[in-house]
Amino acid sequence: MASLSKAEKSYIQSSLLSDPPLRADGRALADFRIIALETGVAPLANGSARVSIGRNAQDGGGGTEVVAAVKLEVENVGDGESVDEGRVVCSVSCSPTAYPHLSSGALDDLQHDMTSMLHSTLSHPSLRPKNLGILRGKKAWLLNLDVVIFADAGNVYDTIFMGARAALWDTKVPRTRSVEYKAKKPNAHEKAMDVDDADQGKSVLDTRDTRTATDFELPDYWDEGEVLDGRKLWPVCVTMNLLPSLHFLDASLQEEASVPLRLHVLFSFPTAGTPCLQTSRLIGSGFTDLTQLQSLLRDGEKYARNVWNALESKLKDEDIRRNQKARERFIHR
Amino acid sequence: MASRIEILNDGGFRSDGRRQFELRDISIDFSLQGTADGSVTIHHGLTQVLVSVFGPREAKLRSQTIHDRANINVEVTVAAFSTGERRKRSRGDKRLLELASTIKSTFEPVVQTHLYPRSQIDVFIQVLQLDGGLLPACINGTTLALTAAGIPLFDFVCAITGGVHSASPMLDLTTLEENDIPHITVAMMPRSEQVTLVTMETRLHVDRFEEIFRLAVDAGRVIHNEMRTAIQARTGSLVASLGSGQKVEGETGVVTMMEINES
Repeated sequence: MASLSKAEKSYIQSSLLSDPPLRADGRALADFRIIALETGVAPLANGSARVSIGRNAQDGGGGTEVVAAVKLEVENVGDGESVDEGRVVCSVSCSPTAYPHLSSGALDDLQHDMTSMLHSTLSHPSLRPKNLGILRGKKAWLLNLDVVIFADAGNVYDTIFMGARAALWDTKVPRTRSVEYKAKKPNAHEKAMDVDDADQGKSVLDTRDTRTATDFELPDYWDEGEVLDGRKLWPVCVTMNLLPSLHFLDASLQEEASVPLRLHVLFSFPTAGTPCLQTSRLIGSGFTDLTQLQSLLRDGEKYARNVWNALESKLKDEDIRRNQKARERFIHR
Repeated sequence: MASRIEILNDGGFRSDGRRQFELRDISIDFSLQGTADGSVTIHHGLTQVLVSVFGPREAKLRSQTIHDRANINVEVTVAAFSTGERRKRSRGDKRLLELASTIKSTFEPVVQTHLYPRSQIDVFIQVLQLDGGLLPACINGTTLALTAAGIPLFDFVCAITGGVHSASPMLDLTTLEENDIPHITVAMMPRSEQVTLVTMETRLHVDRFEEIFRLAVDAGRVIHNEMRTAIQARTGSLVASLGSGQKVEGETGVVTMMEINES
């Protein structure tokens, strides 16, 4: 957070409240800065994305910049908190570059705050992807989502959730095949090697639901796996900065520091019609009344839908760029 | 195909297709990160490091100030997704603290700290990808970031790893090679022909040391060339944008050289 004097705060507030409202960079109240997104930035991760908001086009400087990456690990079901269906663990770390004036203790507090918001939202059982299980009762994938903040020029929560959604969208879960060991039946002893093949073939190929499978293997396959389930569910965040009579989006650092109250709303739109409010948080030292909150939620849904649609089309473009076009380039090489 | 990865095959190629003395591709990007005074993203092959420099500025803690020179503060963070196996390292991780203090002691004789008494220079290093040669990448990145921040140095610091496989020395090792063969890291100052850092954590036959050391110093000169070219290009573009009002094409080259010689 930038530190501002009283005079600077009142200058920013009064220009926001004037008619028409004025912002330092000439945006309207509900305008975002330019958002840039790229998926597949970390080659060793199962899915990754880099998002920047308000990056300067000439020298590539300025702006809020975040990298999110997903890594999958196999864990034994039964140890600690692991469950059959796999679980999602999120963490946010802030590079000291982003907050050069904070001491390392304050930095830890800040990243703890961000981690708790991200983790509590994304690891909720209702959002859990369906394809994280490997062997029922034995092994499951542990999905680690790590977000690193490289630079903060305001509106970091929206950026974090955009990055998280893009990284999860990009994630591929490796295919697994269960392996089963069969004890030879005593009466089959005289048949020696002639075990009936049909039964065995079936059990090796598809034993996902039988409890006799003891281990799994990774079959060779031409791609990195199937996409992580729940692409339609990961929410987007919209932060509304509240002044008594109005609200605005995508605040810069100075604007954030001059506004007492912020409302984070997280929406997802699993089907075209019904929005789904995942989380909302009112943060700050001020207060607001209930009627205002209702209208804020309605507005928030509208903004979130715009962000959602833009992000969705960009992510689809990225899919095409990274898969179809890359394949064509490889062929015409 | 052999079941084990060959460090150097019969044709004289390494596991990633390089020759013995071939360096990995180095790319340098000076685009600014946030509010840093100088920052650089440097790739050594698949190792990627982002270095930001803040300062010289007032120290956050008064106890950290030194009355007659600037204090250099180095912090290293490694992204959890940078390695093959996910591992989250905390800020107090001993390995990272050691790395940071190595980098600090490498740069203390090189930065002209006596010009900035009672102040602090912060170097924040963020490791994004890790494929061997972490320390050299950090050192080369720090040199470039300090230069980009306009902090006067006595000389460049160019670092490289060198190792030996049976009797054949090789340069710029990847993780695969670092795990398998003895290696040293050398940081040299090309202009004054001095060495500010030599480290080794493995066992190496004493007869092999000189050969690798000489090779590493030669490789340092090659890296110096790369770094100088990158800085000249950046300074050139800065000068061009300074004088975008007037035409100074003829003079830009001269000005760049002066800047380089001063820093």
